[in-house]
Amino acid sequence: MDQSTFAARISFHDSIETMEVDFSRFAFADAAMVDAFYDHIDQRVAATGRRWYFLVLYEGCEIAPEAWERFAARGKHANISYGLGTVRVHPSERTRETIRSRAERETFRANIFDTRDQAMFALGEMRKRREIIGAGTADAYLRVQDIHLNFGGVKALTGVSFQVNRGEITSIIGPNGAGKTSMINVISGFYRPTRGRIFFDGADRTHLPAHKVARLGFARTFQNIALFKGMTTLDNIMAGRRFRHNLVTDALYLGPARREELRQRAEVERLIDFLEIQAIRKKPVGRLPYGLQKRVELARALAAQPKVLLLDEPMAGMNVEEKEDMARFVLDVNDQWGTTIVLIEHDMGVVMDISNHVVVLDHGAKIAEGTPAEVRADPVVIRAYLGVAH
Amino acid sequence: MDLNFFLEVLIGGLLAGIMYSLVAIGFVLIYKASGVFNFAQGAMVFFAALTYVSLTERGWPFWLALAAVLALMIVLGFAIERVVLRPLVNQPQITLFMVTIGLAYFLEGVAQGVWGAQVHALEIGIQDKPFSVAGISVSQFDLFASGTAALLVLVLGVFFQKTKTGRALRAVADDHQAALSVGIQLRYVWAVVWAAAGFVALVAGLLWGARTGVQFALTFTALKALPVLILGGFESILGAIVGGLIIGATEKLAEVYIGSSIGLNIGTGIENWFPYMLALAFLLVRPEGLFGEKRIERI
Amino acid sequence: MFYRLAGQFKSSYAADQQIFPIRQDRIFVIGVMVCAFLVVPVVANDYWLGAILIPFLILGLAALGLNILTGYTGQLSLGTAGFMAVGAFAAFNFILRVPGMPFLLALFLAGVTAALIGVLFGLPSVRIKGFYLAVATLAAQFFIEWVLTKYGWFSNYNPSGVITAQAIEIAGYRFDTPVSKYLLTLGIVAALALAAKNMARTQTGRYWMAVRDMDLAAEVTGIDIVRTKLVAFAVSSFYCGVAGALWAYAYLGAVEPQAFTLDRSFQVLFMIIIGGVGTVLGAFLGAAFIVLLPIALNVAAHALFPGVSTDLTSNLELVLFGALIVFFLAVEPHGLARLWQIGKEKLRLWPFPH
Repeated sequence: MDQSTFAARISFHDSIETMEVDFSRFAFADAAMVDAFYDHIDQRVAATGRRWYFLVLYEGCEIAPEAWERFAARGKHANISYGLGTVRVHPSERTRETIRSRAERETFRANIFDTRDQAMFALGEMRKRREIIGAGTADAYLRVQDIHLNFGGVKALTGVSFQVNRGEITSIIGPNGAGKTSMINVISGFYRPTRGRIFFDGADRTHLPAHKVARLGFARTFQNIALFKGMTTLDNIMAGRRFRHNLVTDALYLGPARREELRQRAEVERLIDFLEIQAIRKKPVGRLPYGLQKRVELARALAAQPKVLLLDEPMAGMNVEEKEDMARFVLDVNDQWGTTIVLIEHDMGVVMDISNHVVVLDHGAKIAEGTPAEVRADPVVIRAYLGVAH
Repeated sequence: MDLNFFLEVLIGGLLAGIMYSLVAIGFVLIYKASGVFNFAQGAMVFFAALTYVSLTERGWPFWLALAAVLALMIVLGFAIERVVLRPLVNQPQITLFMVTIGLAYFLEGVAQGVWGAQVHALEIGIQDKPFSVAGISVSQFDLFASGTAALLVLVLGVFFQKTKTGRALRAVADDHQAALSVGIQLRYVWAVVWAAAGFVALVAGLLWGARTGVQFALTFTALKALPVLILGGFESILGAIVGGLIIGATEKLAEVYIGSSIGLNIGTGIENWFPYMLALAFLLVRPEGLFGEKRIERI
Repeated sequence: MFYRLAGQFKSSYAADQQIFPIRQDRIFVIGVMVCAFLVVPVVANDYWLGAILIPFLILGLAALGLNILTGYTGQLSLGTAGFMAVGAFAAFNFILRVPGMPFLLALFLAGVTAALIGVLFGLPSVRIKGFYLAVATLAAQFFIEWVLTKYGWFSNYNPSGVITAQAIEIAGYRFDTPVSKYLLTLGIVAALALAAKNMARTQTGRYWMAVRDMDLAAEVTGIDIVRTKLVAFAVSSFYCGVAGALWAYAYLGAVEPQAFTLDRSFQVLFMIIIGGVGTVLGAFLGAAFIVLLPIALNVAAHALFPGVSTDLTSNLELVLFGALIVFFLAVEPHGLARLWQIGKEKLRLWPFPH
């Protein structure tokens, strides 16, 4: 298979940020062929240096059973690495079924349409949603300015400033002890900065206490899982919602309290479906395995419909598959609801794949900031990680 | 205001406070080594005193009774560690606290069931005669009690600083895991601590019993050790002394001066709640006490 | 076999969120209610009604109050008896000084008074946790005891300190027989227990439990923990206040501070430890246990050793209580309620082993 065959099947529609991939009447006979095609796609996209929506044409496309695994894996990787969303046009019955069942298992939206026009329409809707949220604030959504944090004699943060743009995924990285969790604690209002200011959506909110910050639209997860261990999954997530309730109506239950409970339950169930935790909804969270606890914690953070989601090492302690799942969830949240995400993560692969923007801390100070590619190549960052004698 | 009278009340209060400190020291020992707040300390005081007095009433010579009760308290200490605390090693602090409440009731029931519930007078040979120091009346007994307390603190101080077991105890108090990793037998240390607390309870029991008679109410007086500890910090023996002095002095002064200034014919009673209110105020301002360690919660 | 859940599928959230979603539970609870309201008054004698069932109900109510504070919200309190005393004395004074005060309103106001005092003494919980808070509640207990005894106004300057409770009159009907008092108490306690169960399963209860489990995380999730704790103190004290008033009016017939000493606080605490913290059922199981145990002990002791002194049996009570507390905390920290649950699960499979 030569490259020109592949090249002809790929086109970029810049104005709508969409890459059209024409798999129609193509036969994937084995895994090697899948790899060949996808390698080409990866290269073409890398050359553009940005993310794309995918419009994939499947009409008459044949995928041999032994090629399926590889096809699915490469597709998933592509989505995580440089996708913004995918629409699929007219796959065959068998392909359709396979995609659907995989979609259910692995939580991505199948987005299957019969005609190209329908697919384009859906694509337009997806972009519109994203634009509404991402649209034109030249002002940063969240800005921290000259943050200093001292504990007694320990200087946890010294003069850190950076900004987070609306609808983007920003990662904070750095060696251990760099002050990343402290920074998140300051942003979520748990610590008061010794000096410096925090601006959210234009307004100064430096001195707000933690629960008021939460009410403003911030939600977070914790490095060491802070779930309410005595309650079930469902109760944990419900506790994260904003109810309209008071003591008296709750004590009576019938009437307003019951209606509110059912209404909130329906919303929470949608979240449970989204994060695929239906099977454990009535289990006490203290008994759940680590990976599921992290997912429940994410659900609780999302329950509050936050504008900004702060994730402190959401993938710590997970194996490769769990990490991919979590990465997909994070991307889906960002994609579907346009939530701004600030992420602390040690896994460089994940960080580089899903972030729009990266901030690097070391010893309490910011040493670099930029796109993943820029940061990766920055010699200062490399030195901090590999460690030069201080 | 009569200065002499004030000083008498003050000094009387200070010396009474020493008595509280004696009970508090037992708390501190156990809390330091195992993080358990031993609500049963008061019951142990009562148990020790009652056993001693019942033995002497049955004609045992005082030194034999003393030795017997001491041995009994040590055995009791080991038994408590083995039977009650070991199964509950990883439970939260609240649970352990509630267990010691159960233990307190248990000990009281056993003590009274075995020896009877009447009030006993306890003689240890020191008369409660007042004598005069610079025109102020001071109780001879209270002085003896203070001397004993000082001696006890000294002995404990030497124990902690100079002996191997004492050092092991301090290591355990600091960090259980680290202590384990250098080969210190936690269980042995805990048992020693409980036995030591039992010994302190015996001393306190004898002094208290001689002062007010051995009776069930002793266990409630022991509750006063709680405010003492809050003021002094739960982990400091020095704090127990200082806290005791402050509580003793302030409760007596409050009793006398607040009572009369309010004007109502109130009489006794203020000292029942004043120490707790003081402790409450302290908790709001300086929760770790004067000599305690600050606890920082991190997430 | 009796407890099979097969066939009981819930097809709506409403069905899933019923108060007793399992059919067998519903039948059981209805059965108990029918028995309590209709059968017991006819069958039981005055002794059982007046000396066992009524105190059981009232102490169950107090245990429920403490459970809300300690079991659901995690704030350890040793001041239960103090709040009961507030309720008793408040009811007495409302009925005494406000002419024509209806009994039920006095009861309600007594609860509200206790709730206000509860919030006052609950303020320290904003800064203090764990057993430090227990010491603060001790301050409440002792202070309340002292105020109510020393200031004669509360007991209408009665020289003996023992005040006879006024007769209970509702809508012209006098509640002065054991049966009528029993039914009145049962009605009030059942209503308040239902309210407690409702609060526990709605957002109010979830906020309480969140504060108990990890208050820092609760704060970051947007829960106002100060408000939550104070609400817990208020509701808990309300329940204890009503219980105290009922204790004076429906049980003792007298309002006396000696009924509400520290011993009573410990007694109620023991009830929720043995019964199971954090459950409505646990409060009542614990109350039943603690009320019945001394009687059973007495009966057994006198049967086995006739002529044994009451001193000995009362000491035996202390020993047994203490031992049971230690036992329960070591073996089953979630108390009888958990054992009940385990029993139900075993019943699901019976007679099959698994």
